[in-house]
Amino acid sequence: MPIVHNGAVTSCVFFAVSGNSYSAGTFISSTVGVPALTHSFCKQNNPAVQTMDPSEVEFLAEKEMVKIIPNFSLDKIYLIGGDLGPFNPGLPVDVPVWLALNLKQRQKCRIVPPEWMDVEKLEEIRELERKEDAFTPVPSPYYMELTKLLLNHASDNIPKADEIRTLVKDIWDTRIAKLRLSADSFISQQEAHAKLDNLTLMEINTTRTFLLDSLNCMYKLRSNLQPGSNKGKALDY
Amino acid sequence: MFVTDIRKEFYDVVVNQRVALLISSDIDALCACKILQALFHCDQVQYTLVPVTGWQDLGTAFLEHKEQFHYFVLVNCGANVDLLEMLQPDEDSVFFICDTHRPVDVINVYNDTQIKLLIKQDDDLGVPSYDDIFRDEDEEDGDDSGNESDLGSEPSGKRRRFDEILFDYEQYEYHGTSAAMMLFELAWVLSKDTKDMLWWAIIGLTDQWVHDKITHMKYVTDIATMQRHVSRHNHRNEDEENSLSIDCMRISFEYDLRLTLYQHWSLYESICNSCYTSCNFKLWSLNGQKKLQEFLADMGLPLKQVRQKFNCMDISIKENLRDVIEESSNKYGMKDIRIQTFGVHFGFKNRFLASDVVHAAAALLESTEKDESASDTFIKALDCLSRSNLERLHLGIDLAKKKLIAIQQTVASCICTNLILSQGPFLYCYLMEGTPDVKLFSKPMALTLLCKYLLKAFVHSTRNKRCKLLPLIMAAPMDVEKGTVIVAGIPPESETSDKKNFFGRAFEKAAESTSSRTLHDHFDTSSNKTGKIWLFLIELKTEDRTKFLDALITLLS
Repeated sequence: MPIVHNGAVTSCVFFAVSGNSYSAGTFISSTVGVPALTHSFCKQNNPAVQTMDPSEVEFLAEKEMVKIIPNFSLDKIYLIGGDLGPFNPGLPVDVPVWLALNLKQRQKCRIVPPEWMDVEKLEEIRELERKEDAFTPVPSPYYMELTKLLLNHASDNIPKADEIRTLVKDIWDTRIAKLRLSADSFISQQEAHAKLDNLTLMEINTTRTFLLDSLNCMYKLRSNLQPGSNKGKALDY
Repeated sequence: MFVTDIRKEFYDVVVNQRVALLISSDIDALCACKILQALFHCDQVQYTLVPVTGWQDLGTAFLEHKEQFHYFVLVNCGANVDLLEMLQPDEDSVFFICDTHRPVDVINVYNDTQIKLLIKQDDDLGVPSYDDIFRDEDEEDGDDSGNESDLGSEPSGKRRRFDEILFDYEQYEYHGTSAAMMLFELAWVLSKDTKDMLWWAIIGLTDQWVHDKITHMKYVTDIATMQRHVSRHNHRNEDEENSLSIDCMRISFEYDLRLTLYQHWSLYESICNSCYTSCNFKLWSLNGQKKLQEFLADMGLPLKQVRQKFNCMDISIKENLRDVIEESSNKYGMKDIRIQTFGVHFGFKNRFLASDVVHAAAALLESTEKDESASDTFIKALDCLSRSNLERLHLGIDLAKKKLIAIQQTVASCICTNLILSQGPFLYCYLMEGTPDVKLFSKPMALTLLCKYLLKAFVHSTRNKRCKLLPLIMAAPMDVEKGTVIVAGIPPESETSDKKNFFGRAFEKAAESTSSRTLHDHFDTSSNKTGKIWLFLIELKTEDRTKFLDALITLLS
C-alpha cells in the first residue's frame, strides 16, 4: 500500500527480507534549487547515502562456517568471536571460512564443500529460479561469495568445480535480472513501497547505489515541478 | 657431514629460526629456491633471499649477513671448496649446502659441526674414507719415539698415498642430482608436496639437461623418478566421475620433439634455430637449406603451414606431427629427435614444456638490459616460474627466441668465415667486439650454450678427423669499460661423453706464468684445486688474452 504524505511522495522505504539478515536502505532527500540530474550530483549532495564495497560483503561472508579436515593437531583455541577446535588429523571440524582458506593455503587442511555446492541441487535451484517470478530461497545467504572464495582457493577439493561455477553464475544472473526488472517497474510506476523476499546482501549491494540515487533524482524532479509544496525540508525515515 | 634425515636435521632445525638463503644464479637453483620458499611460507619461517653470482658475491653476502643470521642455506654453491676457510665464520654459524657441484670437498664432508650437506649419499660420490686422508697427522705425532731410519720413509710414503687418493678423487668435476629434486624430496617427506613444487623440480632437472650438465643416462634415470611422482599426483585427485577443474595444473609425461620452443614459435623457425637439427642439416650452407626443404617435402608439410605460428597450424597436421617427424628424421640421420620430458597444462590456453620454461627463465636471468642489476634479473626470472606471472613467462620466451636466433647466426658466421682456429692442442675462437649480439655472450650460460653449439657445428662441418677430437676454448668481451674478456673451455665432442672431463690446471698455470690478471669467480671453476674441469670460465683482462693463449698452447702441447 503506498504511503502518501502531504499529497506527494516524499520518501520511499525499500525492504528486503532474506534468510538471516535483513537490511533496509533509505535515502534522505534534500531539495536543492538546481535540477541537475546526474548521478554523481545526487550522490555528492546526499552525504548520508550508504555505500558498501563488495569486498566488505565478502568479508562478512567469511564468517560463515565450513567443514574442513585438518592434517595437524591443535587444542581448542579461544578467540573473541568464539571457540574453535580441537583439531585432530583426519577428523572433520567446523571453522569459519577465513580460517579454512588460510589453512588451505598453508596446506594444513582439506576443505569439504558445503552440502548445497552440488551439481544436482544447484541445477534444481536454477530451474526453480527460472520458473518463478519472485525470488526463490537461496542455498546460503552468501552463496555467491562462498562459491568464488572456495572455487578460487580449493577447487581441487571440490568435484566438478567448473560446472558448479557455471550453475551459480546462472542463478546469479537470473536473480539480478529479476531485480533489475523489479527496480525498473518500481521507479516507472512511482510506487512507494515494495517488498522483496529472499534477497542476499550481495545482490542488494549491487543495486543499492543505483536504486537509491535514481529514486532520489526522481524525487527531486517531482518536487521541482511543484515549487510551492516542499521548500527545502529534509524528511527522513 | 651428510644429512641422513633431511626432515629432522634440516627442516625442524630451521623452522623456528631466521634463515639466510644464498642462491646461485642458475635455473636449477631458482627452482630449488621456489620450492624452499613455498615450504617456508606454509610454516611462516622468516628468511632473507640473497642471489649470488660468484665466489666474491658469496663472500660479501656472508659478511653482510653474518651478524644477524646463524643459519645459512646455500643452493648450488659452496660444496666444492673448503667453505670454512673461505668464509671464516663464527663458531655458531651453521651452513646447509644443497649443491650439485661434485666432487664435494673432503673437509666439508668430514666437518661434523658447521657444515651439513643436503646431498644424497648414494649419488656415487666415491668420497675417500676418513682414515685414508687424515691418518698421516696422527701417524706423525706417534713417530716421536720411532726409529730414525723408519721415520724418514714412513711419513713420506703415507703422504704420497694421501696425495694420490685426493688427486684421484678430485680429478674430475661433474654435476650430481638437481638441487630442486633434493628439495622436492624434502617436501615429499613432509607431505607438503604440491603439483607446483613437482613442476619446479622437473624444471630444475630439465635445466641440467638443457645446459648439458648431466649425462643422458642420469637424465633418463631422474626422469623415471619424476615420472613416479607425476603418476602419484595424477591419480590422487582424479576419478572418472569427478574430474578436476580446468584451472588445476596437470603435468603429463611427453615423448616430445627436441625442437626448442616449437610450440610457441613456428615449426620452421624452431627447426632452423635448434642446435640438434641445425647441426645435422648444416643449415649455414646452401646445401643444408636444400636438405631442409627436402626434409619438409618428404614429410608432406606445406611451407605455408610450417612457417605459421604453431598454434595456428592445421589440426590435421598437428595430430601426427611427432611420429611423422620422427620417421623422416631417421632417414636424415637424426636418430634421437625425440626426448623424454614433461609438459604442463592449466587453463584453456596454457601449455608449456619444461624446456620452454628453462629457456625463458635463462633468457630473463641473463638479459642484458641497461638498467637492470643482477638482483633485478634474478627476481624477474624467479617470478616467471610462478603460474600467476604468465606475461613474464611469455616475455621470457620472446627473449629466448632472440637469444637462440643470435646464437645460430653467430655460429653460422663463425663457421662460414672460419673464425675457429686450430691452435694445436685445442680449437680457439674469439668474438670481436663489434659482432652483433655480442653483449648476450658476456653471460656465462649464454656463452656456454654458444660454445657447445659451435663445437657441434664445427664437428659436423669439418673434414679434418683430428680436429673433431679437440676441445674448444671461446673468448668473448665481457665488459667493455673494464676491459675484461670471458673465456670458456669445453671438452671435446664425443658420442659417449661422460661429462667428466678435463681442462687442466693448464689454465691456472698459464695464468700464473704470464701474470695475467684473471678472476676465477664462477662457481663452476675452483681456483685452488688440482682438479681437471669440464667447463672452465674465467675473466681475463683484454690485453692479457694473447699472452694467456700462447702460454696455454705451449703448456698443453
